[in-house]
Amino acid sequence: MGRWLRRLRVLLGGRRFDDEVRKEIDFHLAMESERRQENGESEQEARRGARLAFGAVDGVREEVREARGMSFWDTLVQDARYGLRTLARSPGYTLTAVLILALGIGANTAMFSLINGVLLEPLPFRNGDELVLVRQQAVQSSRADAGVSIQELQDYRSRLASVEDLVEYHSMSFTLLDHGEPDRVDTGVVSANFFHMLGIQPLLGRSFLDGDDDLGAEPVLILSHAYWQSKFGGDPSVVGRVLEMNDKQHTVVGVLPPYPQYPRDNDVYMPTSACPFRAAAEAEPTSHRTFAGLRVFGRLAPDATLERASGDVAAIARSFERDYPQDHEATRSLGFTGDAALLGEELVTNARSALYVLVGVTVLVLLIVAANVANLALARTLRRGRELSVRTALGAGRGRLARQLVTESVLLALAGGALGVGLAGLSTDLLAGFIGRFTPRTGDIAVDGRVLLFALVVSLATGVVFGLAPAFALRRDLAGGMKEGGVQSGAGPSRHRLRAGLVVAQVAASFALVVGAALLLVSFYRLATKPLGFETEHVMTAAIYGNFSSLETTEDTQLFERQVLETLRSSPGTRSAALTAAVPQSAIVPGNVPVTLDGFGDGTPYEVDRNYASDQYFDTLGVPLLAGRDFRPGDTPEAPRVAIVNQSMAELWPDADPVGRRFTVRGPGMPGMPGTPDEQSFTVVGVAADYRLYDVEQENPAQYYLPVSQNPGRGTRLLVRVDGEPLDAVPIIKAAVHRADPLTPVEELATIAEVRSATHLAAPRLTAALLAIFALVALAITLVGLGGVIGTTVSQRSHELGVRMALGASRLSVLRLVLWEGVALAVVGVVLGTACTVFFSRVLSSFLFETPATDPLALAAVAALFLLAAVLATAGPARRATSIDPMQALKVD
Amino acid sequence: MARNAKTDLLQGTLDLLILKTLALGPQHGWGISQRIQQISQDVLQVHQGSLYPALHRLEDRGWVASEWGVSENNREAKFYSLTRAGESQLEVETQKWERVTAAVASVLQVVS
Repeated sequence: MGRWLRRLRVLLGGRRFDDEVRKEIDFHLAMESERRQENGESEQEARRGARLAFGAVDGVREEVREARGMSFWDTLVQDARYGLRTLARSPGYTLTAVLILALGIGANTAMFSLINGVLLEPLPFRNGDELVLVRQQAVQSSRADAGVSIQELQDYRSRLASVEDLVEYHSMSFTLLDHGEPDRVDTGVVSANFFHMLGIQPLLGRSFLDGDDDLGAEPVLILSHAYWQSKFGGDPSVVGRVLEMNDKQHTVVGVLPPYPQYPRDNDVYMPTSACPFRAAAEAEPTSHRTFAGLRVFGRLAPDATLERASGDVAAIARSFERDYPQDHEATRSLGFTGDAALLGEELVTNARSALYVLVGVTVLVLLIVAANVANLALARTLRRGRELSVRTALGAGRGRLARQLVTESVLLALAGGALGVGLAGLSTDLLAGFIGRFTPRTGDIAVDGRVLLFALVVSLATGVVFGLAPAFALRRDLAGGMKEGGVQSGAGPSRHRLRAGLVVAQVAASFALVVGAALLLVSFYRLATKPLGFETEHVMTAAIYGNFSSLETTEDTQLFERQVLETLRSSPGTRSAALTAAVPQSAIVPGNVPVTLDGFGDGTPYEVDRNYASDQYFDTLGVPLLAGRDFRPGDTPEAPRVAIVNQSMAELWPDADPVGRRFTVRGPGMPGMPGTPDEQSFTVVGVAADYRLYDVEQENPAQYYLPVSQNPGRGTRLLVRVDGEPLDAVPIIKAAVHRADPLTPVEELATIAEVRSATHLAAPRLTAALLAIFALVALAITLVGLGGVIGTTVSQRSHELGVRMALGASRLSVLRLVLWEGVALAVVGVVLGTACTVFFSRVLSSFLFETPATDPLALAAVAALFLLAAVLATAGPARRATSIDPMQALKVD
Repeated sequence: MARNAKTDLLQGTLDLLILKTLALGPQHGWGISQRIQQISQDVLQVHQGSLYPALHRLEDRGWVASEWGVSENNREAKFYSLTRAGESQLEVETQKWERVTAAVASVLQVVS
């Protein structure tokens, strides 16, 4: 150990070490010559004598360097200089190799920067690895986190010792009024100690203080950095300003620094007491025990482990079910429980498989790149056979030559790596956007020191690996290089096998990639063209959240809703209009509501999904009503409560004919919404056909719809069926809403098809596109490599081919001979690639929609493509082979 | 880097002599060379220069340490001294040397 440290010190000392050795030798010579002068020699004689007695000074210096382990580096510098000179002499080879390497190393560096940012960097919070999420879930339903209710949070605060500083978070969308211009803001509703717990200090003003979240406290706001910049131009005097929200005056008390917000980006933050729904729910402590809308997290206690915390949460959650049987009636059969999860893990779970696929892809690309460049280097060594033979003859050992070759390839790889890091830097935004669809942890994705180190290591490793191939071949056949025609010498069968093997490896790896890309493309096509059972292109949607200040009462809201619909329905170009709670195919998941059928079944509740719709909703979407009637204006809050069910829910009744029958919903009403009792019965008035309201990868749930007219405030999404160009409806929709209430913002205008494309299709489209790009690049590199190998073979065999033709072989048979050689390599590669695919597609399968990972048709199609491509890549050299002049070929010898 | 085959024997001897010299106290290269020359006179005909690779090799091994200081005639000189590891190495080398010379001597006795 000490020895290496000493050597490192000498190495880093560089010139200083040489100077010291020189000084040491000078001292010796001076002393020796002084001694000789004292013995009576003349100054000149003494100096000469000292030098003679010392021996060759340069030789000694060299030996000293060697003794210090410096000779390795001296040789390296020599080799590198020589390598740079030879590389500069063949710019074509150098450029090709560097570009190909840049692709491979760049792709891997970019991928590592993703992994580094998403999985390796610590959470950007104080001791982020101690943060845990407290989750509750019903085991048999598919949701990992069903949220926590206010009462449950209070119980956890008093009983959960292994997690400290519990804070709550949920997100709302409110209208903020400033200068009279309505602005919809994403609002984080949090406990007062939220920022303190995370260790975030405000940039301006103060953080929330204890008491800010007490019921009845003065409403205060903290602005996010981005919102402060965009809406207030970074004006520091914003602190102290009063903004109107939800009909109340809120004082801005602080501005956050720019930090990656979790769980999501919000425009503003308010304490829990300022949120009208949250405050109302807290004011009614006895009800809504299971109205669980909160995300709860905290910090592991100093002596606690995640396992203990998880066990504690589970025990407390189970006690809720025991202590509050009525509240848990609905979920009892589903196995209500809880656990704790590391926040850092939780944030990246969904991104893992996407990252693994990308890693698999880029490793394959690097493999192809290394094999390809190895082949280029081999071909070049072949051409350099003469030079290398001369050097051997002059005394260079094989090891020395091999070292030279590896040094050259490492130089190439380093240049490729540098260029690759540039490419990676350019692509991180794109990749961060991609992975951002699976995780919020994209804030730390950047080319930092660790990423650079990774790129360096990968470059060195790649350089050594692809440099070893020609060095290895060198061992076999250097002899004979000095003979006449040395350029073509050294092409022994072993070397040809090596080159062929490298091509086969490339074909195999790119085959797996192309198959993967093909599967993803097929899957994306199936996903995008999956029939949804309703119209998406000609339905324009918009978000209209009623404004609290002008719509004070239920009647106001109802009037507003009716006015908007009536104006739209009488506008030219619109066929129908409806209100609902959520845009079909937007980022929504089915809820589950416990439903019992009056007079049927044993009273065990079914899990059913609840939705809200106005009249003409099914009409607008083009979903047929199979029985009964649509909602109508007469379904007022005073009229009997009605519902429309979908086909799947209708089938819960034994005769599937529920019109006129009743069902009952038990469970929590909506807190802060008086008039939604905990138990309600509804009369079924209609049955609608099943259609895909949710992501098509979800099972279509049993559903019922309640009329917006009996549930005022639920119709926050507008659906408008248009005849012509959907964009033309935008001004019509805005005008209609503003005629009913000028203060209600009209937002998120898009057709359902656009909504679907942005939410459910964007990630698979990007995945498929990314993989397709990689696959095409890999295929191109491979085909060029294949063509190159066959080309070299043809020029090596030109003599043999010439002899064949002189002996009467037809041009066609020569063509076939050469083509077959290329195709044979491709066939072997495809066979190996198929084996490779079996492994790779297992990773892919979670990304495939209605497409088996080992789709024989896709495999066969891609295999055919490869064989065709192999023929094309070989065609050039094959044609060249047929045009060999037998006379010329014979004359060469 | 081809090296003379004979240095192997010489090297071992030279290392031993250097270590032995330094056991008497710190010394610069020229001083060591004078000392060795005094002891061995014409028996070991080596260039004075070959002392330096040996010194650096010993330093690389950690058997001697070096430090810049001022010589008896006020010149800047690099002084070498024996380290703890060097002391035990000296013992090992001495024993080895004694075994070899004893063996050679007994062979010579038998033959003559």
